[in-house]
Amino acid sequence: MAFWWLAWKDLLMLVRDKKALLTLVAMPLLLISILGAAFGNMFAEEDAAPIKKFTLGVVNLDDGPLSTALIEEVFQKQLSKGIKIKQFNEEDLHKKIENRSLAVGLIIESDFSSTLLAGNETKVKLLTGPDPGIKDDIVEKVIEQFADSIPIEVMARQAAQPVQADSAGADTPSTQPAQAAPTTTDHPQEQSASQHLIKETTVNAKTKIVSSFQYYAAAMGVMFLLMTVVQGVSNMILEKEQEVYKRLLLSQLTYTNYLIGKMIGLVIICLLQAAIIIVGTKYIFGVDWGASAFGIAIMTAAFVINACGLGVLAGAFVKTEKAFSVAGMFGSQILAALGGSMAPLYIFPDWVVAMTKLLPNGLALQTYLKLMTGASLVNILPAVGGAVGLGVLFFAIGLIRLSIERRGKYA
Amino acid sequence: MTKNGEVMNVNMLTVQDLRKSFGQFEAVKGVSFSVEKGESFGLLGPNGAGKSTTINMITGLYPPTAGTIQVKDIDVIKNAKQAQKWIGVVPQEIALYQEMSARENLKFWGRMYNLSGKALEKSIDEVLEIIGLTDRSKDKVETFSGGMKRRVNIGAAILHRPDMLIMDEPTVGIDPQSRNHILETVKRLNSEGMTIIYTSHYMEEVEYLCERIGIIDHGELIASGTLKELRETIGDRSRINLTLDSNATDTGKITAALEGLFLEKDLQLQDYLLTAFHKEPQSVLSEIIQRVTKTGARVSSVDIVEPNLESIFLHLTGRSLRD
Ligand SMILES: Nc1ncnc2c1ncn2[C@@H]1O[C@H](COP(=O)(O)OP(=O)(O)OP(=O)(O)O)[C@@H](O)[C@H]1O
Ligand SMILES: [Mg+2]
Repeated sequence: MAFWWLAWKDLLMLVRDKKALLTLVAMPLLLISILGAAFGNMFAEEDAAPIKKFTLGVVNLDDGPLSTALIEEVFQKQLSKGIKIKQFNEEDLHKKIENRSLAVGLIIESDFSSTLLAGNETKVKLLTGPDPGIKDDIVEKVIEQFADSIPIEVMARQAAQPVQADSAGADTPSTQPAQAAPTTTDHPQEQSASQHLIKETTVNAKTKIVSSFQYYAAAMGVMFLLMTVVQGVSNMILEKEQEVYKRLLLSQLTYTNYLIGKMIGLVIICLLQAAIIIVGTKYIFGVDWGASAFGIAIMTAAFVINACGLGVLAGAFVKTEKAFSVAGMFGSQILAALGGSMAPLYIFPDWVVAMTKLLPNGLALQTYLKLMTGASLVNILPAVGGAVGLGVLFFAIGLIRLSIERRGKYA
Repeated sequence: MTKNGEVMNVNMLTVQDLRKSFGQFEAVKGVSFSVEKGESFGLLGPNGAGKSTTINMITGLYPPTAGTIQVKDIDVIKNAKQAQKWIGVVPQEIALYQEMSARENLKFWGRMYNLSGKALEKSIDEVLEIIGLTDRSKDKVETFSGGMKRRVNIGAAILHRPDMLIMDEPTVGIDPQSRNHILETVKRLNSEGMTIIYTSHYMEEVEYLCERIGIIDHGELIASGTLKELRETIGDRSRINLTLDSNATDTGKITAALEGLFLEKDLQLQDYLLTAFHKEPQSVLSEIIQRVTKTGARVSSVDIVEPNLESIFLHLTGRSLRD
């Protein structure tokens, strides 16, 4: 029980420290609003901004009215300035993408109109070459908005259904088998032929788009939590150099309980900050964090455990508080940059994005984005498990290292 | 206590050949002593003597380089947490949370000793009474004077009613009033049966509080015993201090002139200060002054000090306790 009181003491001290409290609560909201506003404008202008005209290869297997409307009305008329449409048969389209004469291809399945009209989710297949830039994003969004704009009341009923595609295009089909299955089984030979060259993304017509404000709320939130962890671990190292630490060691508190208490305190502080960021951005700035509040909460907890574990591990190898503060500041900025908090993840190649899942913040951000685009709790459980697992592993290594170090100095 | 009818071990603390090195430097060089239950033991020594290092090993904070420590029947090195249950430690530095009130601090530290609920509240009230801070208990420690902080520092160590209270220079740098209050508190706790280990470089405190005293210097326990026993090491003699003027450059000549009056080991001359020990100082004083004056040196002041710990320390080490 003593470790709870240690955690409680840390919280009490935080509440007393007005400056620390302000940094914890007000700063994130302030910065998110500033950055969000800046990026929000950029994002809004993106549609109007002249993009280099590109050619979209289309295979239309659907004879229904909606595919025709999409191709003729939307792509060929409204977007004629930016996109040139060329129709192909499926085989040719694949060849063009493979030999890179086309960057993006779109295959509209035969049931496109009928399912959409029936109010169900419908899917198209997006083929992209190695370097599509943002072209696939644009096509994707156009299709999504098109599907959204069809006023069929039955769609409302389906709103709660799980949706699969990541609008950022960050996930390869292989990491999301459920999504790949319906489309790829129809064309097994395409899959094998195009494995490393062509990326296939299934665009779900009911996928929501992550706005820049949403993206930055999540990204900045994650970054602030990282910084809080660094601060927390710095304080821990600082306390180790103080007299109260010796008195703690002399009391009935065991060393393991000391570390657990510290970790609990830090996790609670981070969770409070996360709650403030999430609730604050939701109600003040209207950021949509997705439908699964529980998913957000559980992912946040997992991320915080992961990050605190990493913090304790780092802290175990750094002797002085000063050194840790410096290392921690740089470290958290590097993590933030790699994890997508500084520049949008979708400018990175896929393998980089996949790698960043190993970083606490990278994994958290990608999972938040998934939740924002409608993923359910079940979809994110692997990420939650991974984060908690990594955190506990980090913590255990740190604990071993710390007790070896302590044995040299204290009994 | 034991089933076999053996003699009960009345020793609260037994320290044997305790050593501690920091790298090449040996701070404690084989210290041995024991303290009986209910006793008050003083550890007297100048700055850097190794008092805190010794204390930190006894309380289980530092692992010794060599030696054994037993508190009651428990080996502190093997089973520190068990021994720490019985020990209250007042560290040399203030070990409190400055941003929390006195009461909050006591509550927190009580909980670290597994106290809770009514027992904790009762103990806090009693301790506040003992340290005389009941009316300031709601104020933050950072607003306290040095003496008040020291009192809370003591309070945090006695919440769990330890059998043995170990205090490391608890009166350093405070006003006389707070100091007296602390000394009275320690005296009272000791009279109530608490074993006390008290380190200090103030001999008056140790003389006042402690039944038995160990004198530590350069990491070695150079003498130990009751005040009476220690006095006997200097033959219960007073100390004569003569300050000489600047003509007293030839120390050899002066000590030679004083031959026959003192044993060689009872006489010291350093930096124009002549120190000698004698049972009846009044009887030899005029003789000393005469002989010294004959050498050409002049006596500028005379001082006779009754036998005390300061004299004992000086006699044993040739140095004064406080530099
Ligand atoms: N952690 C340490 N690392 C290296 N040397 C140390 C350490 N702690 C103490 N020492 C050295 O050991 C010697 C004894 O120190 P200690 O603190 O035990 O003295 P002390 O008797 O308590 O003195 P004071 O009256 O000044 O508190 C000193 O020379 C000190 O510099
Ligand atoms: Mg000391």
